[in-house]
Amino acid sequence: MASVSISSKEQYNFDVVRKFAIMTLVWGVVGMLAGVYIASELAWPFLNFDSPYISFGRLRPVHTGGVIFGFGGSALFATSYYVVQRTCQTRLISDALANFTFWGWQAVIVLAATSYILGFSQGREYAEMEWPIDILIEVVWIAYMIVFFGTVMRRKQPHIYVANWFYIAFILATALLHTFNNLAMPVNLFSMKSYSLFSGAQDAMTQWWYGHNAVGFFLTAAFLGMMYYFVPKQAGRPIYSYRLSIVHFWALSFLYMWVGSHHLHWTAIPDWTSTLAATFSIMLLLPSWGGMINGIMTLSGAWDKLRTDPIMRFLAVALSFYGMSTFEGPIMSLKDVNALSHYTDWTIGHVHSGALGWVAMITFGSFYHMIPKLWDTKLYSLRLVYWHFWLATIGILLYIIAMWISGIGQGVMWRTFDDFGNLKYAFAYTVEVVKPFYAMRAIGGMFFLSGVFIMVYNVWMTIGQAKREAAELDAKLAAKLARVGA
Amino acid sequence: MSKDKMQSQAVQTTGHAWDGDLQEYNNPLPRWWVWTFYLTILFAILYWIWFPAWPVAKGYTPGVGKITYVDAKGVAQTTHWNTRADLMREMNGLAAIQKPFFDKVAAQPYAAIAKDPELNNFIASAGNQLFADNCATCHQAGGQGKIGFFPNLADDDWLYGGQFDKIQETVTQGRRGYMPPFGEALSTAQIDQLANYVLSLSGEKMDAAKAETGKALFHSETAGCFYCHGDDARGRQVIGAPNLTDKIWLWANVPNADAPSIKLAAVKNVIQNGLNKGVMPAWGQRLTPEQIKVLTVYVHELGGGK
Repeated sequence: MASVSISSKEQYNFDVVRKFAIMTLVWGVVGMLAGVYIASELAWPFLNFDSPYISFGRLRPVHTGGVIFGFGGSALFATSYYVVQRTCQTRLISDALANFTFWGWQAVIVLAATSYILGFSQGREYAEMEWPIDILIEVVWIAYMIVFFGTVMRRKQPHIYVANWFYIAFILATALLHTFNNLAMPVNLFSMKSYSLFSGAQDAMTQWWYGHNAVGFFLTAAFLGMMYYFVPKQAGRPIYSYRLSIVHFWALSFLYMWVGSHHLHWTAIPDWTSTLAATFSIMLLLPSWGGMINGIMTLSGAWDKLRTDPIMRFLAVALSFYGMSTFEGPIMSLKDVNALSHYTDWTIGHVHSGALGWVAMITFGSFYHMIPKLWDTKLYSLRLVYWHFWLATIGILLYIIAMWISGIGQGVMWRTFDDFGNLKYAFAYTVEVVKPFYAMRAIGGMFFLSGVFIMVYNVWMTIGQAKREAAELDAKLAAKLARVGA
Repeated sequence: MSKDKMQSQAVQTTGHAWDGDLQEYNNPLPRWWVWTFYLTILFAILYWIWFPAWPVAKGYTPGVGKITYVDAKGVAQTTHWNTRADLMREMNGLAAIQKPFFDKVAAQPYAAIAKDPELNNFIASAGNQLFADNCATCHQAGGQGKIGFFPNLADDDWLYGGQFDKIQETVTQGRRGYMPPFGEALSTAQIDQLANYVLSLSGEKMDAAKAETGKALFHSETAGCFYCHGDDARGRQVIGAPNLTDKIWLWANVPNADAPSIKLAAVKNVIQNGLNKGVMPAWGQRLTPEQIKVLTVYVHELGGGK
């Protein structure tokens, strides 16, 4: 195995993968810290300290942008560059361009976060970046397309491995979504402020076409790509069904594009658009589950490893949460369920069972597999991986249980009428009711974040260990050469 | 599970291998997966049949679902399912439940409403909601107000009067509380003396000599406090001038001050700079007369009423 890694070091560009991997952890800490802080602000409002810079409204996009684009985005760059090189048996077509995507993407995250804190926002959820940052994203993304597609085209394998289809779909769809959702006219060349080209219901529908497909292609398809490489690798077993992977890939890609308007039920959009969004969401359930079935069935020959391999636990639990939240989503997209769930914490809980349970867990599992290979060593401590696993799992459970209770509670209270036909609960009363669950949610987030700190420590020690090993090897080699020379 | 395992082993891989050991079995699609997928499609079709679903030319397929609601004129309307009609059905249905009670409130004088237990229950329900939606933002959920901003409605002290007709007037027309600043008209020493006197009125232990001089100032033409606050300093509700002899404070945060110097500073600040923020908006345009009547009784009950 060691000899393979040494030769692959020369064969592949792992330098850019390593850089993205480290930044994934950095943004994970920053983004999740922001999340824990704003969750705490909701539970204990004194934490606002009357400062606009750390108010919920400004820190919230720092949290979502930090975890989606900083943590998730860097993880996708890292794993896609890793997977495409190994499965195409070829080096990235351009080191310089790959390096540009690294520095460009980091600049995007830093600029976006800074601009949010200073109060700049387009007011489009998950696309709050103002136009200059949008242009930078566009440029970086085109460079990413060139590097990734170019590498796939130069592959030494006749067939494109399934993980790469998912990465390709993700890169293409993100380019489309980002471009059209951000069509806007700046107030002037030197102003950060811009106005969208769309207005009214069209504007809302464009935004949620973007918003939901960001979930669909950025947070689902791309991470399925990750799953399709790291699950069979870690389990040491072939993918369960090639046929299923094709069918669910195309069904997923086709159906996702229709469902965005389910974020806008019971609003000013035409009723028929809302009906179509609901039904396509329902039809999306099984295509989504295709990925889960393929992953779980691939793992199923290796269940015994769950006892000894904590990395497998991350992957298995990630797939379970993926299955759970892709079931919950279509149910919530039905008009009548949505009438209860929308605008409540249930939505927040749903997002986090996907984001923490699926996206973050599959990333942790994949990284624990990939990082030792990148630095050509063994993981510093498997025991710490266990600790991370349990802290993360308990954190997620606390989070989503708190949000289910407060969300469904809100939904029910907001629509309860008394015998006189008056609403029974004033809004302020419902805030009082959910307060303990806000504290519970913040504590869940703290659990999850402390797991990430353990991972950072583990990775730090692993890299240090790798450097020592390399130095020892060099010293031995030098001694040997000296003896030969003498 | 063991059956799947055997099945997997019996099935061929696709014959490709990536990155050393990555391979794919070519298992067929799981039956239950295929059939459940078809079921979701069937569900979608039924949903399309019931609700407006597909755009056709300039319109859309309306669906077979129907909604009957009573419109604003009281006429029953039946239309294909749509969000707006569904909302009308629900809101007008609730309004119909509320109507007989609101009619009774409108028809009866306040004294009679207060004696009717059923109407009192209705007011506890509707008033609570109206208060939460319209008043609680400033006066807080229980009407306890906020010192320095909004008067307490739950105590027995009324700036403009606590009788039904006065509360109704306040809600309908709003109020504008004002006290002129005395910073230029009076010296610092005089303001200090006045503040000592005003605080002594509500039983605070103050400098007796200063309070004595302050009392004279209060009743003199120089300061002219008595014009608004009255000879007895008990205020005048016609102009919203507060009673200075009770222990209730709205603008100067005396109750939460722990040292006499802080209390003094708070009162001096009011005399020095005056007040121009006692604004209560008018609700006459926003609420119906019946709603205002309900709110009036509700607020009256909050403070024990007069």
